[in-house]
Amino acid sequence: MTEKAKNDERHQQILNAFQAAIGVENVKDNPATVNAYFGDFLPPKMLGMTMPPEFVVLPNGTMETQAVIKICNRYKIPFIPVGSNQWSLTGSPNRPHTVIIDCKRMGAIHEIDEKNMYAVIEPLCTLAQVQAEAYKRGLYIGSPEASATASAIGGHVFQGMWGVGYRLGVAYRNILGLEWVLPNGEILRTGSFSQDADNGFWGEGPGPDLRGMLRGYAGAMGGVGMVTKMAVKLHPYPGPKVWPVEGVIPNQTSVLPEDRFKWHMVKYESLEDAVNFMYEVGKAEIAGVVQKWPTVYYIMWWSKSCEEYWTEWQKRTFQDNAKNAVGVCLWGFTSGKQLEYETRVLEDIIKETGGKPVKKEVYDMWVPHNANDWIRDTHGSRMMRASGTFLALRLQTDTLKYSIGQVKTGYKWVDKFSPPILDSDGPDWIGGYDFGHFGFGETDFPVEKNTEAIGDLMGKLMGMVKEDVTNGLENGVGPFLGGAYHQMAAPVFKYDKLLKGIKRAIDPNRVSNPPHQIDPDA
Amino acid sequence: MAKEMLLPKDPRYLKYPLEGPFDQEKARWIAFNCSRCSVCKWVNSWQVKSARYARICPQHTRYMFDSHSGQGKCDLALSIIDGKMKWGDDPEIKDILFRCTMCGGCDAMDKNIRDAELVKLYRWMRTEYIKDQGILPEQKPLVDSLKQYDNVWVQPRSKRNAWAKELKDLGIKDLNKEKAEVLLFVGCTYGLSQELKGTIINIAKILKANKVDFGILGDSELCCGSPPDKIGLPEEFERLATANIKRFNELGVKTVVTPCAGCYGTIRVEYDELPVKKNFEVLHVAEYIEKLIKDKKIKFKKEVPVTVTWHDPCHMGRMSRPYVPGKDILGAYEEPRNILKAIPGVELVEMERIKEYAWCCGGGGGAFTAFKDFAQWTARERLTEAKDTGASMIVTSCPWCESNLRAGGIGMEEKMEIKNLFDLMMEAL
Repeated sequence: MTEKAKNDERHQQILNAFQAAIGVENVKDNPATVNAYFGDFLPPKMLGMTMPPEFVVLPNGTMETQAVIKICNRYKIPFIPVGSNQWSLTGSPNRPHTVIIDCKRMGAIHEIDEKNMYAVIEPLCTLAQVQAEAYKRGLYIGSPEASATASAIGGHVFQGMWGVGYRLGVAYRNILGLEWVLPNGEILRTGSFSQDADNGFWGEGPGPDLRGMLRGYAGAMGGVGMVTKMAVKLHPYPGPKVWPVEGVIPNQTSVLPEDRFKWHMVKYESLEDAVNFMYEVGKAEIAGVVQKWPTVYYIMWWSKSCEEYWTEWQKRTFQDNAKNAVGVCLWGFTSGKQLEYETRVLEDIIKETGGKPVKKEVYDMWVPHNANDWIRDTHGSRMMRASGTFLALRLQTDTLKYSIGQVKTGYKWVDKFSPPILDSDGPDWIGGYDFGHFGFGETDFPVEKNTEAIGDLMGKLMGMVKEDVTNGLENGVGPFLGGAYHQMAAPVFKYDKLLKGIKRAIDPNRVSNPPHQIDPDA
Repeated sequence: MAKEMLLPKDPRYLKYPLEGPFDQEKARWIAFNCSRCSVCKWVNSWQVKSARYARICPQHTRYMFDSHSGQGKCDLALSIIDGKMKWGDDPEIKDILFRCTMCGGCDAMDKNIRDAELVKLYRWMRTEYIKDQGILPEQKPLVDSLKQYDNVWVQPRSKRNAWAKELKDLGIKDLNKEKAEVLLFVGCTYGLSQELKGTIINIAKILKANKVDFGILGDSELCCGSPPDKIGLPEEFERLATANIKRFNELGVKTVVTPCAGCYGTIRVEYDELPVKKNFEVLHVAEYIEKLIKDKKIKFKKEVPVTVTWHDPCHMGRMSRPYVPGKDILGAYEEPRNILKAIPGVELVEMERIKEYAWCCGGGGGAFTAFKDFAQWTARERLTEAKDTGASMIVTSCPWCESNLRAGGIGMEEKMEIKNLFDLMMEAL
């Protein structure tokens, strides 16, 4: 039997097994289908580092997902679970015979418990869907800056960054219960689900908190099996039952009731002063969102066309007026009086820290069009518009103060790699979480989108990771790129042994999206 | 000295590159810049009002695999253009391309975040597919009918004017013989459908009663060209559209009004892509009549106590204006609503997905003819959404929407009355 015939026979056996498990119509292996599952705007597809999967399967529910994963283990073929499949950073096959587990048949909201403030959801549910249902009940959940079209489960098992994280902590801490098919096909139930499959009230129980297994260093990345059901916390929300929108795409605005929500845009002379202000706001335990956006974010979110982007950028409106500005949204959670109180506290802090309000015309450009994206994002995908793609040099989680150093090191690399990195005014996004107890720094910029430029930049990034490691810096890029990048970077923070141990224990056949979260055999 | 700004070397990121005739290079540009952000699959996040009605793309919602989405079609286009796949490689390519209702839901959502025109890409893909693989057998009768009879319904030309013969006493002008300011362009479906001819009769009566100087082309009216345009036959579209523009110009009419959303969007937007230029404005009958109401020329005499919801036909809404990057995705959204609000007794309640983010009826893009099961599934989704408003009637003004919603409603447990805007209006006059 030839190698091809063997492969064909094996392919047919696996196809039969999947079809028997979840139904003929829910399994596809034809070229036109698999062609839609191996890339996005990021470099891997353009550089030929990804390939179409061998199968795309659509299981429905935990038992069918378990059956699919067991088949993958039986035949020792890799699988990648995907959520709403908004982008596919680590969700594109990088090796032959991969199976994409697409959750399109798992989009239910099983329950919203208004009294106990949680929702039980399936993987296809987007954050926009959960938000819409939560708002109706006077509750809310945040969304990551990548947009509310992201899967809510995906958002919680990934990096966990979201605008309201200042108030709610990173997303994964809001997980209450999990129904989770491990890479070896076993089902693990955590939190309330471990005791009562219908009750999602509490997240922890006796023994270790297993949510860290999902979180890893920078998210699950499909490397630890598939979560098929999750109970997530919802929080009291003082806003309207329907998200307020005026205007027509792409010029919509959203203004939340001013007796309960008020955005302040405060400008500082330096990044250090801006971060100091963020600390002070956190200490006072006021506000719902606190963000220091890079000027490039303003233009990315605000502009409604490529031409507008580059024209406005050349006018330097945001560079000259919003550099080192911090956006603070005060929420009158309990009453208008609370908003009044928080406003007085904020004014005192601004005075003490030497802040100045940004110009009214810049405030008016930004706030009604885009500031509320940090509560319910709808424009995050505009980040790719200006040049077809964007990349990041720093995605680091630590303290707010540490973020300053990281993003400043990022400036240096951005300068060094420009072009193909395009004009980005020293990109430095810093988000505060848990009232400033920790911070997230990210360095994003537009890049010239063509194979040569991107290939060249990726090579340079490898050099940057090496130099960072030598200097004892973990820049966060490694975990996203995986493989050799991650292997090089992980030992800096000494989490690699733990991650590898977990991976070895739950994924003996190395089938769950290798080499993510980490390659235990490297 | 300030550092020089580093702008993209590729000028297509600095100025919109998709103006002018559409070609493979433009198709590749759209496909290459798909970021897989998936906004083409969902209603714009700010507009999602419930988990149930959060989807924008009927095809992706029904067939679920990403190949059946805007993103999947971009991936397919890129693979074909770059020579990694061929049109004949997989029979499913036909379904991916032609089950799409060309409703432009993905297109409008996409325009919120990038400069592109997905529907133009799909049209190009269909054309290229047909060049390589031939016309779909399911659509062949429609195409033959266009060639033989200049209409899509396999009806002789002489039947096109049958409805007007019932109105002999009204004295509707025949523009082949006399002049008028306004051409009432009836369209194939209103002109030839026994089921729908009542609507065009009502419209003619309303216009006449209000002393509008209008006429019709009768048997000599041609199809507007929308069906061949949507199913990927540009030459047939060009033949019909060019003939129409020349004829309308020759007639010297100031305004072409049509009750058909498909004709409206096509004449208003797609005709602009042809070398022959229009010397007339294009209005949907709703736009024309709303103005008459605003000018207090139309007086309602009766009350029609009914709670209704308005279904925005895609080609009367988001697909009815040329795209200008950064500008609003406009359409004839308010005019039909204003008419409904003006009818005594009518209470208008809105569905969750409306205007530029409306859910399609399912009848467009050739799906009504070739993929009835899917077209009717899509219609049932819309009827369910309409029912959830508490309305007892869904009102629209597109013959494809009306017919497909009716077909989809057959067998549904909870009935919803489906009515044309002008039929409802007539009840109050």
